[in-house]
Amino acid sequence: MGFVVGSVLMAFLAVLQSSLLNRFPFLSGTANLILLATVSWALTGRVAEAIVWAFFGGLCLDLLSGAPFGVSSMALVAAAYLASLTEGRFWEGHPLAPLGVMAVASLVFFAVTMAGVWVSGHPIDPALAMTHVVLPTTFLNVLLALPAAQLAGRVREAAFPPPVRMG
Amino acid sequence: MSRTSSRALIALTFILIAGGLLVLNLGGYLQAAEGLAVRPLAALQGWISQRVTAIQTLATSPADLATLRAENLRLAAEVAQLERELIALREQAAEAEVLAGLLGYARTRPENRYVAARVVGQDISPFIRSVWIDRGSDSGLQQGMPVVTERGLVGRVAEVYPTVARIQLITDPQSLVNVRLQTSRADGALHAQLNGELSVDAIDQSASVTPGELVLTSGLGGAFPSDIPVGQILTVRKRDYELFQEAVVQPSADFENLLVVLVITNFQPLTAPGP
Repeated sequence: MGFVVGSVLMAFLAVLQSSLLNRFPFLSGTANLILLATVSWALTGRVAEAIVWAFFGGLCLDLLSGAPFGVSSMALVAAAYLASLTEGRFWEGHPLAPLGVMAVASLVFFAVTMAGVWVSGHPIDPALAMTHVVLPTTFLNVLLALPAAQLAGRVREAAFPPPVRMG
Repeated sequence: MSRTSSRALIALTFILIAGGLLVLNLGGYLQAAEGLAVRPLAALQGWISQRVTAIQTLATSPADLATLRAENLRLAAEVAQLERELIALREQAAEAEVLAGLLGYARTRPENRYVAARVVGQDISPFIRSVWIDRGSDSGLQQGMPVVTERGLVGRVAEVYPTVARIQLITDPQSLVNVRLQTSRADGALHAQLNGELSVDAIDQSASVTPGELVLTSGLGGAFPSDIPVGQILTVRKRDYELFQEAVVQPSADFENLLVVLVITNFQPLTAPGP
């Protein structure tokens, strides 16, 4: 069920990203809703779902973009998997952990997408990309990481409450 | 199998599937499937875009100014049209001095045919500057067709689906437009930086380029019709030890507020835009 609902949500977020969020850029970057959603969901422990969401959300992003089809999927799946590696670490429960995870996930996402876009023959100036896209977007993603993680945590508790042992 | 390695396997599987899709796409095998998949997304995109535009308009204009706003819009459109006519007349006059023989050809050219389209979304990738419009092959659009507004050149059609199309803007780093400077008659190549800044390079060192000079499409290369306004020269960089001059250009079209564009449908480009 979580897979289906999440996939529909990803399609909606991709459309929202294209028609609404991109109208309000910070330099040339905007917060990446799908990255926020998948990484936050991975941080709640529902990693398999997060990876499927990342895959499907990436395809939706690429459908609405001139980027090569599949590049965003690869980048998002890698970012979601990376976020899952925090599980079991001593700082996993730290309230500020989502900030660091989101920063790293954003950088991984951009490293993969920039490589994919560059391989497809699109010229990218690394310095301009860093100052106008990567850093502003990472900043916005980190800014929204805590509310996104809290929202994901609440949705997880509501939709998948922890089992209670009786007797 | 441990939990971590199971997750790694899932992630690797999906990365490999995505990689496979990427290869198929680069080979051009997914065009039909993409067309099918993009249709519902584009419909939702258009619906949301309309609402967002309506809300933006409502937020930026008090209700009692609605009439004035409409009048202002009409006058602005009229001024833009007159400006365009003025530019065209100046260009014709300049051409008459240098290439009088071609003026007759310019006058006898058939009028352009346009398809108006609404901009419904922007490219999600921050590395690619393109917009989505609500017209596609059902409206006669084809890849490579030039796209303009009443102010000047916007870009050209990069991808076409039945009901939507993607327009590669001239502010995209992959875009290249052959241009001519109106007064100095120098040719150059217009290209963009990732931040959207436009510049013309490959301008002959002997040309006397001045700030404020108009930049028009030259038609060289056959990608765009000639004499479409592109922008104005802002600054010129000329160094004696370099082969060419370079100039920064202020675009004519307002790329921050693209709402409606015109696709020139009777122009057959000789080259297709990049991916």
